[in-house]
Amino acid sequence: MSAAEADDRAESIRMIRDSAAAVVPPDGDLKRIRALRFQEPGFDPAMLRQMGEMGWIGLRVPEALGGAGLGLGEMCALAEELGRGLAPEPLIQAALSAQLLAAAGGKGALAKLLSGEALLLTAWQERADTLEAPGTPEATRLFLPMAGGATGFLLPARIGDRLALHEVPASAVRLETAPTQDGGFLGTITPPRDLGTPLATDIGPALTEALDEAALVTAAYLLGGMERAFAMTLDYLRTRQQFGRIIGTFQALQHRAADLKMQVALTRASIEAAAAALDAGVRGDARRAAVSRAKARAAEASLLVTRQSIQLHGGIGYTDDYDVGLFLRKAMVLANQFGSAALHRRRFMAVSPEVEA
Amino acid sequence: MDAIRIPPPAELDGLEDEHFRQVVRAFLHANYPEALRNPPKRLHWAENKAWYMTLAEKGWLCPGWPKEYGGLGLSPSKQIILTEEYERHGVARTNDHGIVMLGPLVIKYGTEAQKQRFLPKILTGEHIWCQGYSEPNAGSDLAALRTEAVLDGDHYVVNGQKIWTTLAMDANWIFLLVRTDKTAKKQEGISFLLVDMNTPGITVRPIINLEMHDEFCETFFDNVRVPKENLVGQLNKGWDMAKALLGFERIFLGSPRQSGYALSRLKILAERMGVWEEAGFQDQYARLRLEFEDLKALYGTFVDRLKRGQSLGPDVSMLKIIQTELFQKITDTMLEIAGENAGLLEPLDGNRDLNIGGLYIQARPATIYGGSNEIQRNILSKNVLELPG
Repeated sequence: MSAAEADDRAESIRMIRDSAAAVVPPDGDLKRIRALRFQEPGFDPAMLRQMGEMGWIGLRVPEALGGAGLGLGEMCALAEELGRGLAPEPLIQAALSAQLLAAAGGKGALAKLLSGEALLLTAWQERADTLEAPGTPEATRLFLPMAGGATGFLLPARIGDRLALHEVPASAVRLETAPTQDGGFLGTITPPRDLGTPLATDIGPALTEALDEAALVTAAYLLGGMERAFAMTLDYLRTRQQFGRIIGTFQALQHRAADLKMQVALTRASIEAAAAALDAGVRGDARRAAVSRAKARAAEASLLVTRQSIQLHGGIGYTDDYDVGLFLRKAMVLANQFGSAALHRRRFMAVSPEVEA
Repeated sequence: MDAIRIPPPAELDGLEDEHFRQVVRAFLHANYPEALRNPPKRLHWAENKAWYMTLAEKGWLCPGWPKEYGGLGLSPSKQIILTEEYERHGVARTNDHGIVMLGPLVIKYGTEAQKQRFLPKILTGEHIWCQGYSEPNAGSDLAALRTEAVLDGDHYVVNGQKIWTTLAMDANWIFLLVRTDKTAKKQEGISFLLVDMNTPGITVRPIINLEMHDEFCETFFDNVRVPKENLVGQLNKGWDMAKALLGFERIFLGSPRQSGYALSRLKILAERMGVWEEAGFQDQYARLRLEFEDLKALYGTFVDRLKRGQSLGPDVSMLKIIQTELFQKITDTMLEIAGENAGLLEPLDGNRDLNIGGLYIQARPATIYGGSNEIQRNILSKNVLELPG
């Protein structure tokens, strides 16, 4: 990338951040988030429509199909801002479905999905902690975030040695949801026998790529959340007094803060390197290795930073009234979505080339 | 590789980065002694003099100095490329205190006479310098140093003791931070003095470190008379000068190379010990490997800043902490899987790649030198996170 191209790119990423901040204020209060917690569907459909109007659901979809045709650098920056504001709308899942419909040639309800009018969730998962979509036709599909708000589902289904894609309306499936720590829900659906309307016969490669992207974008969301929790913690260390001193003057706490800062910096470097690599077009093992690195780091670091944020706040951090706990609860839900740290470490070892030394 | 033409030194700074990298590779391939690649210990002058002189002859000795003083005048980003290639090739450090520390300080703060007198002799290898900063009671708290210089006619009379004077036995000159005002605030009574090691009253005593190597020395000063023209810069401004010299080179303390080297040896050891395929070890190794890759990415963001002409902030301390602690974790793991071989003094099977105890010991001082990791965390919390007090 030339210097001019790099500047253009940085500008494009900055614009995305600004527009995200306008919708989900990064330092705004979290009243909206609290009001949506533990009530179906767990998010605000009007906000999802607004996100659609902003072009976010189709950020990665080619312009010819009604998307914005932007890169992962932009998508990760957006997710980071949403993570900072703990936005519960299932944007990452909607974007994943949009990519599949785009790969299927723009079929189905793509236009409505992009505008946020419809919410299609891709029901790819058949067991916990995996990035594999076997597409077993009759299998129960698991872990569908905010499924109570879905208007329909995309079903990958193995037919022969290919993965076909079907669409079913929400009314055609049996849905059960379970509340999650962050106030959202995870749904389980049993697909109808006929699997609904076929949209594509060979969606496997596109789904594999889209799941990798979703893992990376989830890492970016976690990064935004941990950064804000850490910033809140630093503010607290600078003001809270005990023993007649500001507690941030205690070296034990300063060093712990320094350790958390390094984890945040490594997470950012890892995610930005992965986004740049994917945008530069790396394929195959190198692509999977970059994504796994970033997600493994983000999963571990986000839980570390948010739980240490509770500890550094002391008792007040353990109250539901105080916002820092919201970030821990979000990290608990997202750390293992699209693969846990352990899964990504295994995958990294399986695909990564030797260390260069 | 041999097909690459090595241009004259004055042209190196004008090359395009990737071309420059190829030139450095070709230069090392053609000139670096094979026997000195990846030495397990810091080399003495007798061992690396030939390489120093080769660099001197070819005009490659001082990459960072301006051309007018006989340097290559390389930008920080080219100096990083040069260092990366030296590390990749396993080039040993020379007795480089004159090149890296004293030269730039004299260029920045010295008089014309001092420049004329000292810079050419570094370039010819006549003056080999060592650094006299730390003292037994002034380590992390360097500004507490007490070695004093008292003016007596045309001379300063120096009394005191320096410690960790790396390769002082090889040096014929030493640059010192000395106390010249005992009444001022501790940072404001320190001056910078150049001393000929052959002056009467100087005693050098090697210290054997845990590597059983005599890289460090104690250096004693007993009524050592130093001509007053050997003071560099203003009286009592030595602390500020020494601090101002901590430039972009700090990034090298966080270079991932050391960890990369150790990681590749950990794999060789794991295979030798038959644990490589074990799931438990694989997860342990994956954690180290991912830490290494993310450190590389973070290091890359700092290099990019330098390439864009920005200077480094105090957050560069992160690299040093992460790198050195990773290096230690890797060597800890080597020890853990090596069984009784962990205690061997020599490399296992006589194979230099299996230098288990040696590498473990080598990793220890990394978290101490260049500002201990505790000091680096203080810097991060105060200057980056802006925590109080």
